[in-house]
Amino acid sequence: MSDAVLDSAVHHQTFTAIGQSMPRVEDYRLLTGTAKYLDDIEVPHALHATFVRSPYAHARIFRIQTDQAMAVPGVVAVVTGQDLARWTQPARMAPPIEGLFPMEMTTLPIDKVRFDGDPVACVVAADRYTAEDAAELVMVEYEVLPAVTDMFAAAEEGTPLVDETLSSNLVSHQTYAKGNVAGRFAEADVIVEATFSQHRQTHVPMETRGCVAVWDDGRQHLTFYIGTQVPHPMRTTLAARMGLKETQVNVISPDIGGAFGQKIALYREELTVAALARELHRPIRWREDRMENLRAASHAREDFVKTRAAVTKDGRILALHADLFSDFGAYSFFPANYMIRVVAMLLPGPYKIQDYSYEVKVALTNKCPAGPMRAPMAIASWVTEGTIDAVARKLKLDPVEVRRINMLKQDDLPYLTATTELYEDITPRETLDRAVHSFDYHVRRKEQERLRVQGKYRGIGICSVIESTTYGSEFYRKAGISGTGHEAAWVRIEPTGVVNASAGIMGSGQGYETVMTQAVADGLGCNPHDVAIHLGNTLLAPYGMGSRGSRGAVAGVGTTFLAAQQARIKVLAIAAHLLKLRSSKDLQLTDGQVVLETDGQWRPTGLNLRDIAQTAYLNPLALPDGMEPGIEAHVAYDPPAMTYSNSTHICEVEVHLDTGVISVGPYLVVEDAGTMLNPQLVEGQLLGATALGIGGVLFEHVVYDENGQNLTASLMDYLLPTAVETPEIQMIHMGTPNHRTPAGIKGMSEGGVMGAIGAVCNAVSDALSPLGIVVEQQPLSPSYIKSLVKKASKTAR
Amino acid sequence: MNEVPVTLWVNGQTYAVRVSPRKLLSDVIREDIGLTGTHVGCEHGVCGACTVWVDDRPTRSCLMFAIQAEGHAVTTIEALAQHGQLNVLQQALHEEHGLQCGFCTPGIVMTMEAYLHEHPNPTVDDIRDALSGNLCRCTGYQNIVAGVQKAARVFAQNSSGATSAAGNESTHLSEGGREYV
Repeated sequence: MSDAVLDSAVHHQTFTAIGQSMPRVEDYRLLTGTAKYLDDIEVPHALHATFVRSPYAHARIFRIQTDQAMAVPGVVAVVTGQDLARWTQPARMAPPIEGLFPMEMTTLPIDKVRFDGDPVACVVAADRYTAEDAAELVMVEYEVLPAVTDMFAAAEEGTPLVDETLSSNLVSHQTYAKGNVAGRFAEADVIVEATFSQHRQTHVPMETRGCVAVWDDGRQHLTFYIGTQVPHPMRTTLAARMGLKETQVNVISPDIGGAFGQKIALYREELTVAALARELHRPIRWREDRMENLRAASHAREDFVKTRAAVTKDGRILALHADLFSDFGAYSFFPANYMIRVVAMLLPGPYKIQDYSYEVKVALTNKCPAGPMRAPMAIASWVTEGTIDAVARKLKLDPVEVRRINMLKQDDLPYLTATTELYEDITPRETLDRAVHSFDYHVRRKEQERLRVQGKYRGIGICSVIESTTYGSEFYRKAGISGTGHEAAWVRIEPTGVVNASAGIMGSGQGYETVMTQAVADGLGCNPHDVAIHLGNTLLAPYGMGSRGSRGAVAGVGTTFLAAQQARIKVLAIAAHLLKLRSSKDLQLTDGQVVLETDGQWRPTGLNLRDIAQTAYLNPLALPDGMEPGIEAHVAYDPPAMTYSNSTHICEVEVHLDTGVISVGPYLVVEDAGTMLNPQLVEGQLLGATALGIGGVLFEHVVYDENGQNLTASLMDYLLPTAVETPEIQMIHMGTPNHRTPAGIKGMSEGGVMGAIGAVCNAVSDALSPLGIVVEQQPLSPSYIKSLVKKASKTAR
Repeated sequence: MNEVPVTLWVNGQTYAVRVSPRKLLSDVIREDIGLTGTHVGCEHGVCGACTVWVDDRPTRSCLMFAIQAEGHAVTTIEALAQHGQLNVLQQALHEEHGLQCGFCTPGIVMTMEAYLHEHPNPTVDDIRDALSGNLCRCTGYQNIVAGVQKAARVFAQNSSGATSAAGNESTHLSEGGREYV
């Protein structure tokens, strides 16, 4: 991609499709039941795999007897970790990060199981019912070991080891300091401490995991169907683990029924299915059931943070220190510091805090492995804003005032944070002020006081969010992780003037096909109805890094926009040649028509995109000298090290002291995600993220007992918010473009989670402040709230 | 396990299949009949993704054996759009962005379509209550509620005979009814 194209993408574009709430092109197939999700792909003669899972959190495997299962009619194979070790390579996670210990895992466990639900054997049969029957007959002899279920205990000396190749369960430990933290604490009038404990949650995509592996023995080629956020990295990993070349594997991702970060890693079950397809020379499919998904797919968010703030008596924060601790579960599918490191990085938030230090520890436990879940840094905004509220309480100041005293203003930008992050084009003070104003904050404060006299406990919570969205290659280099942040796209104008395009991202509900269509329409200058987007097939799409974080907009759609602009340059060059103009500088492509500027007016030239395409493909001798036939643009683009969006959430809650029930609402979000590709989709993402955050705060909780048994492996125990509990959310958009990215896009869709956690928790603490209660842990279940109220009333007596 | 012959009447067509007596209606609709619009999200009756109509009543097809459906009319999501046109509720959900990944959507359409036929003038609270048996992880429900409200308005306009006032939306109405069952 040339600098000129990027420059024009950033600065000189007027949009006709981008910025419109164009209805989604994906919807028809999704609404009519004609979409193809993984389980809808018919593969003739496919066998079905199912997994035998450990009922224990921690146990040695002595023997696995498979003969009874093999005797069931219809069963084709029963395999164990020993078999898979012959057919596949283990996964080694060893990025060169100081304080992070390398970990390795085999495809299935061989010597011991490490959590309730760990897969120990795989049964392959003619159908799923038979496979599940036979799985019941696989006899595994275990020696049960003591389970490590508490992350703090896990890190202590003498605790049984989750991974016996390590000397401790403390798998990762780093410290960081910037400025003169100790000096600042010595100067402080007050030191304010606050504690934040977030519970274990899980993604619960409505479509569980699954895959279909088809091995072509003649071509020695694997076609692997899987709903994955990252088709190309999935292919690279799968090929490596199977000892195949990348040319021998094609990954095809059909429609995905939600992912939320759970569909990034190559899981052990998936690799097992792929390996078995090759060994058995039969197509094999696997669809996990909901219990497996809740028990053994991936968990997230079990983080603990304690902050200490050095504060002046007028509310200025001089320095901040944070101790972070995270429960990583039993295996390493990601670097162990991967998620919690970003939390530590973001904790100074939108505040001017240059003296900052942290210590971050990650422990292994006998629980389901942790992975990134929509906003892996979710706890960060609660911690920052909860600390601000703690300062306000201590100094008896209004929490809005404490925010204003410390918050970055436009004059402070660009701003290099204490963790060397660059903030540009963000508007924290503006979103805060707008939120406070639009929410009638001061009126509600008075009403709150009035209601308290009547015994009603209402509270207002505010949470400003700085949301890291697009991670460029520079970010990965700084973090020491072997990843990149670039993305690739192609745009191809076909002989009839219609346009196919693709990129490496893969959607799971975001509406990528729609916003990429809009980006192509504007980048090229064609009608959106003439554009078709093709994602998720590694032979069709260019190698890209897929969908993770909130990179879809800047990296995925931004790169596609650049590729469309490249294609336009060629289209206009051909047009100029056909019109016998010396250059294309006065030409433009608008809605598929070539127009010429004369005397300040755009006039038709009689040429359209179809004419140009016909020439490019079918009459190449009419092209300018030396120009290649056809019109295809391939672009790779590496976004800035990081892009940031920002927002302020503000909400009111009422806490019912007798039942412990919390009602949430009204709820307002003022957000700034830069140029909105499609406002309706931005709102959809914001609504979904905020609901996911609220559900996490109030209901969702993965519970393990002291033996490491998962007690929440059904949707009757793991409670998702329904339409009744989810409040109506109002939204206001600011739209400050990022000056470094194509079209000024910033990315969004995780900040809603971050803001909801902070806003709801802060509101509940505010509501209960007359009782001296501060919520320090989630979920804010009725029993937790009632226990706090009970304790407070005892103390009061 | 031994298979038995079952005759199912799905979307107005007869299907004679041989299935195991323990095979779930959801699995038979998907695997033996080949209608994959009915999605299986939990297999324990909580998420609502597999909702179909059995004799016009929304039913979780994962909580029913296919053999129990013999002699009953089964309707699935595939029957709602006719001649390539979304029905009123589908169109309203499309316009209001009431779906994202779409996996829960067929179950939601089947649940709320039936609900609107019996409750033509629901309040927002009524809609949220009726929707509470269907889980959606993407949307936060707000736009689904807006879509259902919009569809209810169109139904109301149609039943009051205000065909011209209903504009384009009313032209889809004939496809939105249930005469295909």
